[in-house]
Amino acid sequence: MSSISSISPAKKHKNKLSDILISKKFTYSKAIILFLTPALLFYAVFILYPVIESIYYSFCKVEVFGVNAKAQFIGLKNYIDVFNDKVFWKAAANTLIWAFSSPFLEIPLGLLLALTLKKGTNITKFLRVVWFTPVLMPQIVVGIIWAWIYNSEWGLLNEVLSKLGLGVLQTAWLGTPATALPSLIVVTTWMWTGFNMVILLAAVSAIPNELLESAHIDGAKSYQVLYKIIIPMIKPVLANLMILCFIGKMKVFDLIWATTLGGPMWSTETVATYTVKRAFYWSTFEKGYPSAIASMWFYLILIISIAMTAAFNRKEKLEY
Amino acid sequence: MEQEIKSKGFRANISKLSITFILVLYTIFTLGPILWVLTMSLKSTVDIRKSPYTIPLNPRWSNYYDVWVKSNYSRYFVNSALVVGLSVIVLILVASMAAYCFAKLPFKGSNVVFMVIFTTIMLPSQVILIPLFQLLVKYGLNNSLVGLGLVYVAVQLPMSVYILRSFFAQIPKELSEASRIDGCSEWGIFWKIMFPIATPAISTVLIVSFINLWNEFLFAVIFIQNDSKRTLPLGVMKFVGDVYEDLGRTAAGLIISIIPVIILYILFSDKFIKGMSDGAVKG
Repeated sequence: MSSISSISPAKKHKNKLSDILISKKFTYSKAIILFLTPALLFYAVFILYPVIESIYYSFCKVEVFGVNAKAQFIGLKNYIDVFNDKVFWKAAANTLIWAFSSPFLEIPLGLLLALTLKKGTNITKFLRVVWFTPVLMPQIVVGIIWAWIYNSEWGLLNEVLSKLGLGVLQTAWLGTPATALPSLIVVTTWMWTGFNMVILLAAVSAIPNELLESAHIDGAKSYQVLYKIIIPMIKPVLANLMILCFIGKMKVFDLIWATTLGGPMWSTETVATYTVKRAFYWSTFEKGYPSAIASMWFYLILIISIAMTAAFNRKEKLEY
Repeated sequence: MEQEIKSKGFRANISKLSITFILVLYTIFTLGPILWVLTMSLKSTVDIRKSPYTIPLNPRWSNYYDVWVKSNYSRYFVNSALVVGLSVIVLILVASMAAYCFAKLPFKGSNVVFMVIFTTIMLPSQVILIPLFQLLVKYGLNNSLVGLGLVYVAVQLPMSVYILRSFFAQIPKELSEASRIDGCSEWGIFWKIMFPIATPAISTVLIVSFINLWNEFLFAVIFIQNDSKRTLPLGVMKFVGDVYEDLGRTAAGLIISIIPVIILYILFSDKFIKGMSDGAVKG
């Protein structure tokens, strides 16, 4: 009796445990499938498949007739053609100028604003809200507003210039090849400086006050505090914002579509607008060539972003 | 000594003054253009051409009526609200489930799958544009808000999964283990415990994707051709480039297209700023 009773609970227990193990393993993998399938389906159909097809297309001559596309493998010909395409080089130069100049406009300006706002008061909160507003607006809307500001007949900028007695500087800002691209870079700076400011404000506020005060007491000048203490301490955030800003500008499309459409004389053409024009607006039905431009640009963004991340990380390691 | 203090005070005043100057100048720089458009939206085109910088003393509200009714903006507004609203709901369900799986139910290769998805955050839209367009045409989803919405869910997915995953990863194991012992299924644990806890991260995803999609233009301009299916950013472009551009009405249209975001922003500005910054820095 006692022997039976002593065995059976243990046996029972063992059985139960194995049951649980089996059912747990089963429910575990079932749960993974259940949780992951919807996202993977969306991802595979609408992102992964198009990316792979685009890269495949970039090695093909692709002709589209209605629903069907006929792709014929032609190796690197599209890529070679891209290298000989003057408009592409112009678009690439414009985009790279944009992508490499914007971080040096938005981020220092954002930092300057963040430092002026550092002492938290009510007005700080209000200004933070106001300055952040442009980020929330569609680029299309921002583009139209700034096209009006730059308008040569009644635009705000020319009006302000004439009021300041600088009437000589008046020009058709977006209609002149020399001023069109810089004018648009100003627009993205207007849009994104407030955003950078908010993030930098959070980073700067995290620096312990004692550190800054003791530096001041030791007789450090403001700019010394900035270079020796503040900037080193917020370096990771600065690096992050740099990469973010860079990637964003490598993709600029909407703003140009709402203002210059790439003109005058390709002076504001970007790789994004050129790709879309070649793919959908020029009356060629060939899709291999635009696919090659788009794929190449994607490789370049990936490479530069990875290189920037590596460079920033290495610098940090050297310092600490 | 006294002199030193005086000069210090003077210098402090100067720096205070210059700081105030910067603050005021930048505020004008930011708000000026928006306020200018607001005044334009209440004037006729003739008035705008004659005196572009006056405050409209007799506001012309009919601009808004004309745009809303005659220029079909009511339609665009409803289209935008529908496609963005539904996409964001589907996105949150799909992304939070996947993010929970990546954070709490690891399997062989789950990190690789996650990294592949994460890398697409850098993807320029035009890379997927051509095959996507053909795909939508093939299945009759071109020129349809359903097709556009499906693409919207997919493009917001990588960033959303990333934000939600890092949130779920911080939740202590004990929480789900306790309910697992109580006999709760993974499915039940997720919906009853994890999903409600994730509200802060979900609201971040909600805000960021709502703004991104409400303002989205490239996919919409390629995939939508019918006027009746336009979203607001496409509607805004309707008058642009027209020789007889009706400035007053265009301005009214611009204001209509940014009003929902601005109202939400005024109500929840802290949440917006936090959400947008988190979304971007993490993304």
